Amino acid sequence: MEAAIKVEDLVKNFGNILALDEASFTVRDREVFGLIGPNGAGKTTALRILGTLLKPTSGHVEVFDLDVVKEADSVREMISYLPEEAGAYQNLSGYEYLRFMAGFYSNAAMNTEDMISEAEKLSGLGDRLDDRVKGYSKGMKRRLLLARALMMRPKLAILDEPTSGLDVVHSYHIRQMIKDYADSKGVTVLLSSHNMLEVEFLCHRVALIHEGKVLAEGSPEELKDRYGAENLEQVFMEATKLG
Amino acid sequence: MGDLTTITVKEVKELIRDPKILIGVVLMPLIMFPIMGSAISISQKSVVEAMISASFAVYNEDGGQAAFELLDYLRDNHEITAIEAASLEDALRIFIDSEAMTMLYIEEGYSENVSQGLRGRMKIYANLKSMTIAETGSSDTVGRLISLYSYGRSIDWIESLLSEADDPSKPEVVRSPLTYQVASIIKGNVIEVNPSMLFNLIMTQSVMLPIMVMVMLMFAIQMAATSIALEKEQKTLETLMTLPVSRLTILSGKLAGSIVVAIAGAIAYMIGFGYYMTSALSFAPEMTSMSTGDVSLGLQPLGVVLLGVNIFMTLVSGLALAISLAVFTDNVRSAQSLTGFLTLPVIVPAIILMFTDLSMLPPTVKWILLLIPYTHSIIASKAAFLGNYGVVISSILYIGAFTIAVLYLAARIFSTERIITARFTTLNLKRLLRRE
Repeated sequence: MEAAIKVEDLVKNFGNILALDEASFTVRDREVFGLIGPNGAGKTTALRILGTLLKPTSGHVEVFDLDVVKEADSVREMISYLPEEAGAYQNLSGYEYLRFMAGFYSNAAMNTEDMISEAEKLSGLGDRLDDRVKGYSKGMKRRLLLARALMMRPKLAILDEPTSGLDVVHSYHIRQMIKDYADSKGVTVLLSSHNMLEVEFLCHRVALIHEGKVLAEGSPEELKDRYGAENLEQVFMEATKLG
Repeated sequence: MGDLTTITVKEVKELIRDPKILIGVVLMPLIMFPIMGSAISISQKSVVEAMISASFAVYNEDGGQAAFELLDYLRDNHEITAIEAASLEDALRIFIDSEAMTMLYIEEGYSENVSQGLRGRMKIYANLKSMTIAETGSSDTVGRLISLYSYGRSIDWIESLLSEADDPSKPEVVRSPLTYQVASIIKGNVIEVNPSMLFNLIMTQSVMLPIMVMVMLMFAIQMAATSIALEKEQKTLETLMTLPVSRLTILSGKLAGSIVVAIAGAIAYMIGFGYYMTSALSFAPEMTSMSTGDVSLGLQPLGVVLLGVNIFMTLVSGLALAISLAVFTDNVRSAQSLTGFLTLPVIVPAIILMFTDLSMLPPTVKWILLLIPYTHSIIASKAAFLGNYGVVISSILYIGAFTIAVLYLAARIFSTERIITARFTTLNLKRLLRRE
């Protein structure tokens, strides 16, 4: 299967802080891949490098065979990035926000209106899309943002902690959105989470990341077998020797 | 819609829908200035009315025929209160306790002097209880009445002397045999207007222009800082930076959006200030009845174009500078305080050049001012108005070079990861100091 993402020996320093320490992993085309690890493990830094926001200190990163540093503009045309705790423009309505974002992706295959109606279905926000974003709850905002990230059917969706800080109902809805969309549209999804159950539910394969290093990579079943664990939480504790 | 237009439209919507900006930048000048103007107008009118209606006191020490004639004249033209007293000291004591603002003291010997062809002597006392314009103006009113009476007496006297001598001359001509009028020549055209009046008019305009440029620039800086800080505060910047659109387009869209709102603010300011000027000066019609267009001093088409280029360059550089600084902050409040000090190089030259010209300043101050790019914006505005296009062009070139440098800096910041990682907090500052 073709590789959607290739990360090789990725290092990222912020002054004296080493955020990524020779991290390597591969994401296959059309799979849902999870980067799992505790806060400060380096997940967000890795996603930001893939999202062309940060530049690696060393190492090599490719998205669909394109170098994220040298071919950043082409990479941006294929990806859709949802940052952790991202916001939307408070003074725009849900529709205005979607229309603004769709404006940058319109092409022959999908026009602005198609994208907006896709986002309407995905978000399930109905008439509330006419309201200004400042009146939305945290869960509604996240649904709007995820719908925005997926509406243009990107080749790769990068989702940083997609359910972070949400209640059970909204988390459930968001997880369903991602799973259904990835299954039906064949979009490659790279997500990060520290919720091991969520990752087990959503991801075909995962990479365990701790203190900037990738400790293990494989499907949840493979990893559980490898470490003789019942779930990914135990796998993580075994892999990091924190247990 | 192109990417640039999409971003610009979004910027304008975001800024204009922010109540702080809508009220502070657009609505406030429209409401505040007319209220201020009306307040000034009301107070000025009340002063004039107080001066007209207020009575003045008269202490007639002389008591002769000529003094009574003068009193009759004063009584016909104004309300007066006679003070009965044994001495000047007593009269002053009564006057101080009274409502009157001014007292006319007709000295003993006035009538005798007048009848003998000598000068009649008087003194005016102004009681400055609260140092108002009305109090100081009241003594002028009495003075003017006496001057008019004195003129009338002088004309009567001359007339009787002329008739005794059988001289056909007119008494007014004998009193003032020479007369002159003053006209001004501007750009080769003769205008029947006193040069000092013209000077006042030019001063009003050349003061107004730097204020306009200064205010617009300050709005623009505030807009741009708010626009970038809003992206950071609402955590939308990261998403924006991963869109398939060039960073330069994002920067340009932000600049364009801020310019549109700043111009709206400036227009609101000008309309509001226009109301302020007309209502505040409504008590002095000669100030508003003459315009620069009447005396062919208005901006010529080339001047308008150059002024436009100058204002545009100034705005772009101010915005790019504000955006470059605001990138280093996390929220709107810290962005506004960090960019607050940018207003200093805008305000200082504007204030100095409002009252004086560069050539009148000490050389050191002059050169320091000339180094500040915004000094040139103000110089160019004044020069465009006076038709000195050479000065305008050289100022535009200087500010243009500065604008390009600042835009390059902003574009550099936008194209690197600093836009995401940059933070300027007191914590960072402390760390930096500790390291040193």
